[in-house]
Amino acid sequence: MIDKKKKMDAIQRRLIPCYIFLIIVSLISVFPLFWMFTAATNTTVEVAQGKLWFGTHALENFKNLVDNTKLWTSFSNSFIYAAVQTILSLFICSLAGYGFELYHTKGKDALFAVLLMAMMIPGVATMIPLFTMMSKMKLINTVWGFVLPALSTPFLIMMFRQNSRTFPVALMDAARIDGLPEWQIFFKIYMPVMKATYAAAGVITFMNAWNAYLWPRVVLTSNNAQTMPILIANLANGYTIDYGMLMMGVLFCSLPTVIIFFILQKQFAEGITGAVK
Amino acid sequence: MEKKTNRWGWAFLILASAMIMLFSFYPMFSALMTSFKTGSSANMKYADPIWKNFLRMFKDRMFMTTLKNTFLYLIIQVPIMLVLAMLLAQLLNNQHLKFRGLFRTCIFLPCAISLVSYSLIFRSLFATQGLINSVLMGLGFIEENINWLGTTSTARGVIIFALVWRWTGYNMVFYLAGLQNLDYQVYEAAQIDGANGWHTFWHITVPQLRPVIIMTSIMSINGTLQLFDESVNLTAGGPASTTMTMSHYIYNTAFGTGTANFGYASAMSFLVLVMVAILAFINLKVGDRRD
Amino acid sequence: MKKIFAMLLVLTMVFSLMAMSGSAYADDANKLTVMAWDANFNIPALEAAAAAYQKVNPDFELEIIQQPGSTEVEQAVTLAASSGDLSTLPDITLFQDHAIQKFVRDYPDAWNTLEGADINWDDFGAEKLSYSTFDGVHYGAPVDNGTAIFAYRTDILEQCGYTVEDVTGITWDRWLEIGREVKEKTGFALLSMDHNGNDLPYMMMQAEGLSQFVDGKPDFANESLKKIIEVIVQGAQDGSIILANNWSEYTDSTIVGDQVAGVMNGNWIIPTISLVEANSGKWALTTLPTINGGEGYAANGGSSLYITGNCQKVDLAREFLAYTFGGGEGAIETYDNALLNGGVITTCISAGSSDVYMEGFDFFGGQAIYADIVAMGANVPVIEQNDFHYQARTYIGNAITNIINGGEVEAELQYAQELLEFEMDI
Repeated sequence: MIDKKKKMDAIQRRLIPCYIFLIIVSLISVFPLFWMFTAATNTTVEVAQGKLWFGTHALENFKNLVDNTKLWTSFSNSFIYAAVQTILSLFICSLAGYGFELYHTKGKDALFAVLLMAMMIPGVATMIPLFTMMSKMKLINTVWGFVLPALSTPFLIMMFRQNSRTFPVALMDAARIDGLPEWQIFFKIYMPVMKATYAAAGVITFMNAWNAYLWPRVVLTSNNAQTMPILIANLANGYTIDYGMLMMGVLFCSLPTVIIFFILQKQFAEGITGAVK
Repeated sequence: MEKKTNRWGWAFLILASAMIMLFSFYPMFSALMTSFKTGSSANMKYADPIWKNFLRMFKDRMFMTTLKNTFLYLIIQVPIMLVLAMLLAQLLNNQHLKFRGLFRTCIFLPCAISLVSYSLIFRSLFATQGLINSVLMGLGFIEENINWLGTTSTARGVIIFALVWRWTGYNMVFYLAGLQNLDYQVYEAAQIDGANGWHTFWHITVPQLRPVIIMTSIMSINGTLQLFDESVNLTAGGPASTTMTMSHYIYNTAFGTGTANFGYASAMSFLVLVMVAILAFINLKVGDRRD
Repeated sequence: MKKIFAMLLVLTMVFSLMAMSGSAYADDANKLTVMAWDANFNIPALEAAAAAYQKVNPDFELEIIQQPGSTEVEQAVTLAASSGDLSTLPDITLFQDHAIQKFVRDYPDAWNTLEGADINWDDFGAEKLSYSTFDGVHYGAPVDNGTAIFAYRTDILEQCGYTVEDVTGITWDRWLEIGREVKEKTGFALLSMDHNGNDLPYMMMQAEGLSQFVDGKPDFANESLKKIIEVIVQGAQDGSIILANNWSEYTDSTIVGDQVAGVMNGNWIIPTISLVEANSGKWALTTLPTINGGEGYAANGGSSLYITGNCQKVDLAREFLAYTFGGGEGAIETYDNALLNGGVITTCISAGSSDVYMEGFDFFGGQAIYADIVAMGANVPVIEQNDFHYQARTYIGNAITNIINGGEVEAELQYAQELLEFEMDI
C-alpha cells in the first residue's frame, strides 16, 4: 500500500511542470471570457480604460441594451434560426451519412468525393449568387433564407459517415429479417445507437449557426430579422459606442453557446472520438 | 433485394446531395460565370478579353499585399496552433493527471464564443488605453502605451495570438479523440523494447494519428485562407492594409466603399478556391508518404 | 438526449410565438419606411420630420430602419440592385453624399427622382446640391450640410498665451508651431483623426479650393497635396496630431477621453465634443487654417434622403420630403428639432435663419455656433468630386502611414496614385 502511494506521489511530482503549463494555458484561455463578464458590469469609461474587476453598472448596461437595441427580437431570432438549422441539418446530414456508409457502392463513394469539394468553396464566392437566389425565392429576412444554404454540409455528412463505420451491421440484418422497412431501420435503430454523434454534431451545428456572421450580414437586412452577432457588430461599429452596453451584448451573444457546450460536453467528446476513428 | 436496398441508400442521401449541389456548386458555377464579366453589377457584360479579371489579379498590388498577409498568418499560426494542440492533447491524455476534465473544458471554452464576440473582446483588450497596456504599465514592463493595433508587427501578432487562442482547443479535442482510439498494445510493446517518450510519440503516436492530423491541417488551412471576421472586426485591415486578409479584400471589392466590382471579386475568390484545393491536395500527398 | 431535443423544440416554439407577436406588419397608404444610420444624429432628424408632417397628415407613419453606418446602407442597395429585386429596399434611404453619384449611375432603376416635388432648389447651398443632382435632375433631399469646423479648447490655448483669433486664418506651418508648443506645455494634442478613414487630406485640400482629382483622374502629384501630407506627417511626429486606429478610438479615446485641444471635422462631430460636460464653456469654433494663410472652408460627410425604386407611394414620399427637409412649411419645425435633438445643421438657407439658429450655446462659451456654421457653409468651394472618393482616402491614408514609417513623400504619393489608377482601371 505504502509503496503504491509513494509511487503515485512520485508520478504526481513528475507531473508538476505539466500542471503549471496547463494552468497557464487554461488561465489564458479563460481570461478574456472572465473579462467579458466583468466588463459587462462596468461603465463605458471603465471598460475603455481596461478595468479588471467587477463593477456596479451591470443593471444599467442591461437596461441600456434593452432600451436601445432589439435585444429580445435578436436573441429569439438567433435561437430560432440556430434551432431550426440544427434539427433539420442533423436529420438531412445523418440520413446522408447513413446512406453513404451503410449502403455504400462505388457510385456513392464517387459522389461523396465530389461533395467533399464543397468544403473548399469560400463563403465570399457564393454570397452574391446565393443572395440573388434567395431574393428570387422571396426568402430575404426569413429563417429559410438564413438556414437553407447551410442545411447540408459536407463536414456533417462526413462526420456521420465516419461514425457509422462502427455501427453494428448485424443489427440492420436482424431488423430486416424481422420485416422492418428500410426507412424505419434508420429511425428505430440507427438514430438511438448514434446518440453521441448526434450530440456532437448538434453542438457544432448550433454553434456555427448561432455564430454565423458573413451570410446573415447579407441575407438579413431588416432590424427585425437580425441575429445576436449582427447586433453586437452593429453596436461596435456605430458612431458612439457604449462599451459597457456592448460587453453586455457580447455576454448575451456568448452565453447560450457556452451553456449548450457545458450541458453536452461529455456526449460531444464521445461523438468526436467516433468521428476520428 | 440487393438492388432494392441500394435504391434505399440513394434515397437517403439524395436530399443532402441535392442541397449541396444547389446551394454550393450551382452558386460556385454562377460565380465562375460572373468572374468573366465586368461593369455595373446590375447590368454585367462579358469582359474583353474574357480573362480580364484574372489578368488584373496578378497586377493588383493590393491583392498581392492581402495574399502575403494571409499566407503569413497561415505559415505562422497554423503550425503553432497544431503543435500546441497536439502537445496539450498529449498531456491531457495522461491517465495520472488530475483535473483533466477541468483543463479540457477551460481550453476548449474559447471555441464556444462567436468570432465577432472574441474579435471585439480582443480589440478592447489591446486598445491603446486598454487593459493589456495598463497591466504592462502597472508591472513596469513598458513606459508608454503600445499602439498594438496601429503598428503593423504588433497588429499581426495580435491577430495570430487571437487565432491561436480561439482555435487551439478545437483542434485539441480532435487529437484527444484520436489518442483515445489508439491501440495500447503497440505502446506496451514499445515500452518493453525500451523506447523513450519522444521516440514513442514520433514513431507510434504520430503515424496512428495521421488521418486526424491531415483532417485538422486541411480544416485549419481552409479556415485561415478564408479568414474574414478577425480582419474586419479586430483591426479593420489596418494599419495601411497590412493586416487585411484576402477574404476581407474580396468582400470590400464587392461591398465596401461603393465599388461593387462583382466580376473581379468573383475572380479573386476563385483563386482562393484553387489555393485551398492545391494545399489540401499537397497535404494529403505528404500525409500519405509518411507511411 | 431526447429530453434535450424536446426542450429545444419547445423553446423554439416559444420564441417563434414571441417573434410573431412582435412582427405584426401592416402596410397602409400613409406609411413610409426609411433606412438611416446614427441614432444620435440622423435618426432624431427623421423623427422631427415625421412629427412635423403628422401635423398636416395625422395618419402618417414613418418606420425607421436603423443601420450601423452608411456602408451597410450602401451594401443593402448594392445587393438589391444587383440581384434585380428591389423589394428588400425601404421607400426612402439616407445616403452618403460622396457615394451617391456612382450608385445612381450604376443602378438607375434603384432610384426615383424628386422631379415634381414642391421644392425651391434655390433655397439650398450649391455645393450641397452638386452631389445629389444628375444632369440637372434632382434626386436627393438634403439633410445635413457637413460644413467642416475647427473647434479649439480656449482654456488650453490660453495656457500657452493664445486666443481663438490667433489660430484663425493662420498658415499650416504656424499651426504646427502652435501645436508643438501646446503639446510641450500642456501635453494635449491639437488635433486627432480616425486614421482608418482619414478625412484630413480631403478637407484640407477643399479649404485650398482644390480636389484630389482633376478631369476624372487622381492628381496626387499636386504640390498642395504634397504640402498637406507633410503637415499631417509632421504633426503626427510632433505628437500634435493623433492618428487613431479606428473610429471608436478617435471619438471615445481622443475626443471624449480628453486627449486633444482641437477637433476638425464635419460639424456632425459637435455632439461628440459635447459629450464631455466637464469641458462646457471651454470650446470655441472657427475655420480651417490654409497653406498660405487665410480662412479655409470645407465640408465633409453630409448626406441626403433619396426615394428608392421600390417605393410604391412616390407621391407621398415626395410630399413628405418637400414639406420637411425640402424647405416646405414644415421645414423650420423639422430643422429646428433636428438641430436641438441631433445637432443636424441644415443647408436650407431660409430654415437656417430661425431663432433656434441664432441662439448662443454655453458649451461653446455663448457662441452662436449654428449661425456661424451656416455662414461658413456658404463659403465652401465646389470642387471636383469622384466616385472613387473613398478609395482615394484609403490609399492616401496608407501613404501617410508609410511616410510616418520612413517612406518618402513623393514616392508614396506616386504609389498611392498608381494603386488608385489601377482600381479605377485607367
